[in-house]
Amino acid sequence: MNDDELASEYVLGTLPHEQRADVEQRLRHDAPLRAAVQAWEQRLLPLTALAPPVPPSAQLWRRIERTLNQANKRADKPVPWWNLLAVWRGLAAAGLTATLVLAALLWIRPPIAEPTFVVVLVAPQDQAPGWVIQASDRQQIQLIPLGVMHVPADKALQFWTKADGWQGPVSLGLVKPGQTLSVPLDKLPPLAPNQLFELTLEDASGSPTGKPTGPIQAIGRAVKVL
Amino acid sequence: MAEIIFDYEACLLACARGDHRALQRLYEHDSSRLLGVALRIVRDRALAEDIVHDAFIKVWHGAHGFDPNRGSARGWVFSVTRHLALNRVRNASRDVELSDAHEQLAAPAEHVEFEARSAQIHTCLAQLDPARRQCILHAYVDGFSHSEIAQTLGAPLGTVKAWIKRSLAALRECMA
Repeated sequence: MNDDELASEYVLGTLPHEQRADVEQRLRHDAPLRAAVQAWEQRLLPLTALAPPVPPSAQLWRRIERTLNQANKRADKPVPWWNLLAVWRGLAAAGLTATLVLAALLWIRPPIAEPTFVVVLVAPQDQAPGWVIQASDRQQIQLIPLGVMHVPADKALQFWTKADGWQGPVSLGLVKPGQTLSVPLDKLPPLAPNQLFELTLEDASGSPTGKPTGPIQAIGRAVKVL
Repeated sequence: MAEIIFDYEACLLACARGDHRALQRLYEHDSSRLLGVALRIVRDRALAEDIVHDAFIKVWHGAHGFDPNRGSARGWVFSVTRHLALNRVRNASRDVELSDAHEQLAAPAEHVEFEARSAQIHTCLAQLDPARRQCILHAYVDGFSHSEIAQTLGAPLGTVKAWIKRSLAALRECMA
């Protein structure tokens, strides 16, 4: 069975349990299979209309809402991002991306006032690079967007940093999507290798707690340029 | 015709921002249809409601990761529900009397809101031999396994598998 046939029988529903589980496992990282499944979902979707609608019992919505509220309570005490495994995995990828970007920069441009540190900020889910940070001295950094990110009207992007040994991340202020920003670091210790930078989605006026509370939009760490 | 206007993508964006009311609007709009889809497959009312409950929780938690470039938001909500139901029946080797009077499939024409989009699949299904068309519908709508379809149609298992494989290939070509 080729992948398109596998996708078609997965969507149709005729795969046995083990094969269904295999497909669902592969869908997490196999983009071509995901596209094939998606195409079959779209093709066959109109057939869902053949099942007559059945009004749910009155309790069902209340049950769903109760589950949501419980999940919210648990989410009130989130794991701080610097303790999340996914973040560190992402950073490994960001480090690699930074190396590649640097190699490209070194190749393209002769050394004129090179930055001493470069950080590539990537999205935690798909590791897509979103911003680059350049620091040509240790007191000032430039945040350069690689695209324009969509931010909901009532939200803002907040810029944070944390070096090894710091208690927690420190805010570097709010950032407009698509804006190139120069940030002085004079209130902080000099930029250090491996220093973390991230952008989180916060209330329009910034995080109410002074620490990141919203989802991470991009994250990376400083790589020294030789 | 309010069906067409429901903005699934805006609804998922609002869910991703933590807006319970957005999920409730989706529930009010689609819970009957989703329960219908789940019930056809699991054939147990309480189990079908469990599936719809789980589907809404999954939609809520997955809303922030939903990528409209990968397909329609509406399709995703229905797929989540169907696959939860399918996983349930494929997981537990079910032993339901298939000869029980199984209600007739509702005529597609009753569901006006799907008419435009569904035209192509129905045109293509109509080109299949009736027994093969039944295979596809029993699998997709009723969640039947190969052997359940073979039992229902009184056809050999190998034949049913081949029919399904060829029918899917024919549908793919017809809808290309």
